[in-house]
Amino acid sequence: MKRNTFRIALLLVLMVPTVVWALDHDNLDPNRPIAIEDAFVMPHGEIGVEGGVLFNDRKQGKSRFVFQPQLIIGAFANTQLELSSNLSTDPTTVVGDDKSGDLTVGVLYELNTETLNIPAFAVRVGLGFPTGVNSKGVDAELTGVMTRSFGRWRTHLNVGYTFLGSPQGNERSGGYRVVAAVSYPLGYPTSFRDTIIANVFTRQSSSVGQPNPTGIGVGLRHQVSSRIVFDMGLGTEFAGPPDRSLFFSTVGLSVGF
Amino acid sequence: MVHKPVLAICSLTLILCTVSALSACAEFEQRDKRFYYRALWNFALREDLKELDIEFNGVDFGHSNLYENLLLTGAKDVPAIEERARKETLRFIDSRPVLNPNEEAIAPTYMKLAWKAQNTFDEAHALHRSTYDIYVSDLADRKAAIRKVLAYYQDSEYAITAKRLDHQRLDTFPYSKSFRRKFPLFNATIWAYHYLQVVVYDVLAASPDLQSKQKAVAPILRTYHGYLDKPPVEWTFMPMTEELSPKFAAEYPEIANIFNNLHMMHDNISDILTTDLFPTWEEKRKEIYRVTQAYYWASADATNPFIVPAGQPHHSGSTPAMEPSAPSGHSGH
Repeated sequence: MKRNTFRIALLLVLMVPTVVWALDHDNLDPNRPIAIEDAFVMPHGEIGVEGGVLFNDRKQGKSRFVFQPQLIIGAFANTQLELSSNLSTDPTTVVGDDKSGDLTVGVLYELNTETLNIPAFAVRVGLGFPTGVNSKGVDAELTGVMTRSFGRWRTHLNVGYTFLGSPQGNERSGGYRVVAAVSYPLGYPTSFRDTIIANVFTRQSSSVGQPNPTGIGVGLRHQVSSRIVFDMGLGTEFAGPPDRSLFFSTVGLSVGF
Repeated sequence: MVHKPVLAICSLTLILCTVSALSACAEFEQRDKRFYYRALWNFALREDLKELDIEFNGVDFGHSNLYENLLLTGAKDVPAIEERARKETLRFIDSRPVLNPNEEAIAPTYMKLAWKAQNTFDEAHALHRSTYDIYVSDLADRKAAIRKVLAYYQDSEYAITAKRLDHQRLDTFPYSKSFRRKFPLFNATIWAYHYLQVVVYDVLAASPDLQSKQKAVAPILRTYHGYLDKPPVEWTFMPMTEELSPKFAAEYPEIANIFNNLHMMHDNISDILTTDLFPTWEEKRKEIYRVTQAYYWASADATNPFIVPAGQPHHSGSTPAMEPSAPSGHSGH
């Protein structure tokens, strides 16, 4: 039964016609397709509309679909504004800082570009407003982002901490998150449409006393046209609490204009 | 429990402090990427005159691929540039790319070496693209559109000067011409790109509709591919906008100057990456930045010694020029 549910879910995820806008498939934005952000912001003046559907097959509890709309604006020089939300099919069971329907506003500021000796650094500040189901208090997040390239390989590191404004029940008052990733443009020197990304992540569990959800993911961003990037990804949380993701997959599109 | 948030904040603070300390380094520079001027004509070239757009996508590859290879080989290996890198570029052009390539994937080392110079190129190339889009679009008031994209371009600190520069003098640095002397085939190939980039304006303007524009560019593309097959090594100076698209240059002298200056800056950087006078990457970087900021950026107009005073003739003429018999080396520009 569970296997059938999984197969149907996977099929649906792969068929959903979602759209994520971005002109540059090599520029990584959070969740498109996996959890990593690079230190490069969207060019000043660009607007990106992104969206994706995540399928989350949990070890314990119902599987979920999560729709992830996101608006990214190159609002100022070296500064990107991000407006995002998550809409889950099983909203009442979500634990932690990112409840279904919460509105998150973030600012990513790029401190510097990469040079021969210095990696690119950026800092992200985010606020999560309690607009979602069972959500209370304003959450705050601070993340440091680093990108360093080696030839065509790029490595990325995100280290962040989220403070919950009003933890409920057994929820933690805050938790750290660490994601490391590599990305590589496929096809050189004849094609420049694809970037593959792989990450490894761990974060403090949402509930007190639970082990860290820890996992890996892999994703692909494909430039469909000048304005559109398609992405897909999958992964697993191989360690963590009983309700961790045994398997997750996502597809999305980004449109830049 | 209480200590973990504190620890996280301390870690982030440490990162920020490290970054702040690094900001004192000369290499610490911002990315400053800017989006192109958003307008209805965006991508008109790509959508309506694909055969020309494809060629420009190939040109984008050529410049970056050259710089990366010059840097990584130290410009010591002639076959690596003239044969391998040049033919890599020709293969990419032959693949008829429908999207412009990711130049940071082509030249990751060069981008880290001289990002400000690259960003200067990127913005000028975006101006090129905007003007092509406008020329391909069926706009009632083309001049107004051109004025808008020019004003947007000039609003950037990375804008190349719209003043006429003395290109002959800009070609007399101690290291000038080192690239074309050592790598004549690739240099002629680069000049062929610059020929294509400027020759199309008058042809597109003279064609009243899309069909005639498509017809009009066909012989140009044949000529261009002839140059790729047999690089015009007999040329002694880069193609000039006023010679290949005189009406465009007369109508928009500032843009013509920007494009000429852009192409000359390409030649200067090729020479810097080739010469032994700057043996280390750091020295090359410094010279690239010195030339870019002092002689090409519009912000240096007040002190730029290469600006041709108004009313004086410009001596970079008759392009494509043939190698003169006189030993002076220049084509009588």
